[in-house]
Amino acid sequence: MNRARLTPSPQDRARLLALHPALALSVRGGHFIALAVLFALAAFAVFGMWYLDFSARRLGTGIAQLFHFVTLMLPPDPGRQLPLYMHALGETLSIAFLGTLAGGLLALPFGFLAAKNVVSNPVLHFGVRRFLDMLRGIDKLIWALIYVTVVGLGPFAGILAIATASVGELGKLFSEAVEASDRKPGEGIVSCGGSKPDTVRFGLLPQVLPVLASQMLYYFESNSRQSTIVGIVGAGGLGLHLAEQIRILEWQKVSFLVLMMLLMVAVIDFISSRLRFAIIGRRPVAF
Amino acid sequence: MLEIEGLTCRFGDKLAVSNVDLQIGHGAFVGVIGRSGAGKSTLLRMVNRLQEPSSGRIRFEGNDVTALRGRNLRLWRAQAAMIFQQFNLVGRLDVLTNVLMGRLSTMPSWRAFTKVWSLEDKALALSALDQFDIAQLASQRADSLSGGQQQRVAIARALVQEPGLILADEPIASLDPRNTKIVMDALLRINKHFGITVLCNLHSLDLARSYCDRLVGMAGGQVVFDGAPEALTDDVARDLYGLEAGDVMEVSEARKRPALSALPLGATA
Repeated sequence: MNRARLTPSPQDRARLLALHPALALSVRGGHFIALAVLFALAAFAVFGMWYLDFSARRLGTGIAQLFHFVTLMLPPDPGRQLPLYMHALGETLSIAFLGTLAGGLLALPFGFLAAKNVVSNPVLHFGVRRFLDMLRGIDKLIWALIYVTVVGLGPFAGILAIATASVGELGKLFSEAVEASDRKPGEGIVSCGGSKPDTVRFGLLPQVLPVLASQMLYYFESNSRQSTIVGIVGAGGLGLHLAEQIRILEWQKVSFLVLMMLLMVAVIDFISSRLRFAIIGRRPVAF
Repeated sequence: MLEIEGLTCRFGDKLAVSNVDLQIGHGAFVGVIGRSGAGKSTLLRMVNRLQEPSSGRIRFEGNDVTALRGRNLRLWRAQAAMIFQQFNLVGRLDVLTNVLMGRLSTMPSWRAFTKVWSLEDKALALSALDQFDIAQLASQRADSLSGGQQQRVAIARALVQEPGLILADEPIASLDPRNTKIVMDALLRINKHFGITVLCNLHSLDLARSYCDRLVGMAGGQVVFDGAPEALTDDVARDLYGLEAGDVMEVSEARKRPALSALPLGATA
């Protein structure tokens, strides 16, 4: 059999290995560092479990309890409240939709302002980033609690909560998409005598728009889950009923509500991934 | 000896390669030419089994490689080393690790996963890089290299596979003229020095004429020409390339076959 086989002479070998002395060791410094980090992480995890009272026994009895609840939940049954729940489902969906839409529209200018390649002024850039951090740093649940006290119970507070936090999250994602964009089309626009806004409009926007749209669709899916949670503190929708039924131990209704949520999320996920692929073509999105 | 019998590849209702028969003897430098979409890439990729043939048979040294699976398939792939137009290196890994990928099929998997390479393999990889004067780049990240350097790394990777056959799919299509010459010379050196077959897809007729001992012309998935470069008249070429003919043939006939460079390849075939 004829195969190309290199057989370096001992002199060649010595010369080449001398070129990269680190290679002569079979185990490199990197290996020790990786092992040390792995051990440190394991030790930290063990410490954390001990500190937070991790107990296998309590976990065991807890799981037994959980099974008991599951038997209480079967079969899922809405009682006579199906119309009410369907209405609540619609409310949750509209909170998610309006919240994401408002959040996305508001996030658009912030996304460009927070991108280094659009805004060269470091002060403005820094300010916008910290503002987005603040919106994002406060969880949607906490925004909901705040808005419930400001505008009262109901879905309006939910929409405001979802929108506020989404501005922070989407603004950051948008700005990263803008920063990851290719500089050359913009250079082409500048070379034709385009102004700065022209460059953003024609050099940048067509590139990033599909990415932004697909991110908004993903957020619609994520927010439809979040808006249920937000409902628990009184901001309307399914969550309100869920909290209520858990409180009065109506487990069959609880399981029915949970199933409704699961179905809703699955349907939205299916539709939004179809739409995302239609927008960006058959390839994964780089977030 | 590489024997291809009735090899066909279908994508949906499009025939990419249709009923190709080829016999390629030891140590030949065969150029596969034809316009884009003629099925050149698909043919090469089927030989490496990157692409499953729809029907037909590929035999190498009398062994059927069309039906190989699992470990035997991986060994065959190592033996039929592939070189790509876009180099197909892992940009975030260093050059030496990229070359060592060519040794994967010969080492136990714990070595590969922990990246504890044997000294033998490291010396071999360095020596392969040294053949193309880039041993000093071994610790750099692959994506920090120029296109020509990256393709040389890819050829070094192919070389440490200890191949019995080299499949080069448009290896110079992304390179400038100087690097084109370096890369084609490297392939020719491997071909002459080790006496192994090189099957090379080329778009440029001029290059194909100056480097190859035999040309296979493809059009619409079929072999429409098979013979010595001298037998490929301008009329045949015009048929082969159609409207693209002007692009691939405009260069002068004056170019001679390149001389083999005298760099040492410390090795036995």
